[in-house]
Amino acid sequence: MIEYSEKERRMVLKLVYYGPALSGKTTNLLQLHDLLTRQGRGELMVLDTSGDRTIYFDLLPFFLTAPSGLKIKVKVYTVPGQVCHDATRKAVLQRADGVAFIADSSPAEAQSNFTSFDNLERNLALVGLDIETLPLVIQFNKRDLPQAVSEREIRAAWDPTGVAVVMASALHGEGVAETFARLAGLVYDRIDARYALTGEHGLTRDQFVRQLTSLKEEP
Amino acid sequence: MSEDTLEFLVGEEKSLRELLLDSDVLPLLEGALRAGAGGARVVNEEGEELWSESDGGGRGELLARLPLYLEGEPVARLELFGSPEQRDRLVPLASLLVAALDTLLRNNLKRVLTTEIHTCVVNSSHEELLRINADLARSEARYRELAENLELRVKERSAELKRAQARMLQQEKMAAIGQLAAGVAHEINNPLGFITSNLHTLQKYTARCCAMLQFYRERLRPDLPLQTLFEEAELKWRELKLPQVLADVGDLMAESLAGAERVSRIVADLKGFSHVDEAGEVRVDLNQELERTLGVLSHLLAGRAEVVKELQPLPPVTCQGQLPGQIFLNLIQNALTHAGGAPRITLSSCFDGERIRIGIADNGPGVPAALRGQIFDPFFTTLPVGSGTGMGLAVVWEAVLRLKGTIAVADAPGGGADFIITIPAKKE
Ligand SMILES: Nc1nc2c(ncn2[C@@H]2O[C@H](COP(=O)(O)OP(=O)(O)O)[C@@H](O)[C@H]2O)c(=O)[nH]1
Ligand SMILES: [Mg+2]
Repeated sequence: MIEYSEKERRMVLKLVYYGPALSGKTTNLLQLHDLLTRQGRGELMVLDTSGDRTIYFDLLPFFLTAPSGLKIKVKVYTVPGQVCHDATRKAVLQRADGVAFIADSSPAEAQSNFTSFDNLERNLALVGLDIETLPLVIQFNKRDLPQAVSEREIRAAWDPTGVAVVMASALHGEGVAETFARLAGLVYDRIDARYALTGEHGLTRDQFVRQLTSLKEEP
Repeated sequence: MSEDTLEFLVGEEKSLRELLLDSDVLPLLEGALRAGAGGARVVNEEGEELWSESDGGGRGELLARLPLYLEGEPVARLELFGSPEQRDRLVPLASLLVAALDTLLRNNLKRVLTTEIHTCVVNSSHEELLRINADLARSEARYRELAENLELRVKERSAELKRAQARMLQQEKMAAIGQLAAGVAHEINNPLGFITSNLHTLQKYTARCCAMLQFYRERLRPDLPLQTLFEEAELKWRELKLPQVLADVGDLMAESLAGAERVSRIVADLKGFSHVDEAGEVRVDLNQELERTLGVLSHLLAGRAEVVKELQPLPPVTCQGQLPGQIFLNLIQNALTHAGGAPRITLSSCFDGERIRIGIADNGPGVPAALRGQIFDPFFTTLPVGSGTGMGLAVVWEAVLRLKGTIAVADAPGGGADFIITIPAKKE
C-alpha cells in the first residue's frame, strides 16, 4: 500500500525481507548496502540487535527521482524471525508493497521455512494484504552450504506456483542484488499503471530497477 | 483499536524539523561561529531557512554548501559563511558540521523508529491483552455456567441418590418382612402339619367308630340272642382296633388344639408386631414390642439362640406402630447374623425419667471403632459383596430418627456389639 502524495510529488514504497530467524535477512541488507553505490542509498540502520538475531528490525532506505521530478523513496525492512516477535512482524508488514522471503537452504531449516511462510500468509491477511497479488520473491539463501537442498527440488516445488525464486549466497554477495532487482521490478509492474510512472513521470521499469540497484564500480 | 483501524505505523515519513531539535542543531552552529565563521544555517530543499546563527558583524561570503541526507534523500543544505581568508579552515569545518548533523539525524531517527516499534508492539500487545482478557471473561462465564449446571446436576444426582436410597430402604423393609413372612409361614406350617395329619387320623378313627355303631344298629334286634350279639360285637370291636383308637383320640385332639392355639398366637403376635390394624400413631410399650419381635422370630431363636432379657417397666411411647418392631427385628436379625455358632442376645430396657434406653447386645465380634460412623450409612455392609444389601442398619437408623431418638453402637461387656437406642419419653 503505497504512500503517494500528488501535491508533494513524492512516493514511498515499502519492501519487507521476511523469513525465519537466521536465514540471512540482515546479511542481505548489509550486502546490498555494501554492493550498491552510495548515490541515493541511505545508511543501513540496524535497530538494536542482540547477538546475530534481529530483535527489532533493519532498515535500508533508497531514494531516487523520476525524470518528472517525482521523488521516490524505497524503504527496505527486515523483520525479526523469532516466533515471539510476531507483533513487530505485523507492524513492519503493514502497508508493504512487496516481500522478499528469505528461506534457508539447509535441510534442517525446512520446517522453520514452512512455519515462517505460513506466518507470512497469516500476517499478510491480518494486515489486509493479498498474497496472491502482492509482489513476492523467494530467495533460497545459503546455497554455499554443502548440505543445501538441491535447486532441482526447490524449483520443482516452487515453479508451479509462479513465484519468482532466486538462489543466493548472501554471505558472499551472490543473488542479493538479483533478489532486490526482481522484487523492485515486480513492484514497478504493480504500480506503473496506477501511478503512470512510465507515461507521466518518464520512469521506465529498467530505469527504476537500475537506479535502485546500480552496483559500485570496482575500485 | 481493532485490526482494521490500525493507525500506528512504523517508519512513517518524518521531516527534518521533526527529527532535529533546536537544542541539537543550534549549539553546533554556535560552535562554528566560535571557530571563526561569520554565519551558519540549515536551509531545506525549498530554500526555507530552518536554523541559523550569525555574529553581529555580518555573515561574510558563502564558503561552503553541503547536502544533508535523510534516508538517502537530500533534504537540506548546510551553508557556512565567513571571510574568504578563513576558507581553508572553515570548509573542513563545514564537513565536520555535516557529519555531526548526520550522526544526530541518524541517531534520532533510530530512536524514533525504536519508539515507534515499541509503541506499536505495546499497543498491539495491549490489544492482544484486551482480547485475551475478553476471551478469559467469556470462558470464565462459560465455566461459571458450567459450575452452576454442575451444582444443579449434583443436586439432581443427590436427589436421585436419595430416591434410590429410599427405594432401597423400602426394599430392605420388604426383605425383612419377607424373611419374617417365610419364618412365620414355617412356624405356622408346623402345627398346621400335625393338625392336618391328626385330622386325617381322626377321620379314619371316626370311620371306625361309625362302623362299630353301624354294626350295633344292624345287629341289635329283639329276635337275636344277646349272647351272640355280645360275642360278635367283641369280635368287631377288636377287628376295628377300637381300644387303640380310643386311647389315641384324646391325645390327637389335645395336640391339635394346642397346634391351633399356637397358630392363633403367632397370628396375634404378627398382627401386634405389624400393627396392621392401626392407622396413624398409637401408644406402644417398647417391652411388649420387644417380646412380640421375639415372638415372630421364635423360629430363628428357638433352640438356636440364648435370649437374655433384662427389661424394666417403661412408660408408653406414642409413634407409628410398626417402627419399634422394625428397629428390633433388624437389630436382632443383625445380632443373629454376626454372633456366630452360639448366639446370645441380651435385651435390656430402662427409663431414667426422660429417656428410654434400650440395649440389644450380642456376643459376636463387635463393631470396630473406625467403622462405627459408617455402619448406619445406606449400602454399608461388612458382609461379602452380594450377601447383604447393607440397608438393615440404615432402616434402623431411619426408624429411630422417626422416633426422635438416637442410636449408637458400643462394646458389649465381654465382647460383642451393643446397640443402644435412646428415645425421649415422658412419665405416665
Ligand atoms: N553459509 C552461509 N551463511 C549465511 C549466509 N547468509 C547468512 N548467513 C549466516 O547466517 C547467520 C544469520 O544471518 P542473519 O543475516 O543475521 O539472519 P537474519 O536473522 O535473517 O537477519 C549469520 O551467521 C550469517 O553469517 C549464506 O549465504 N551462507
Ligand atoms: Mg537479522
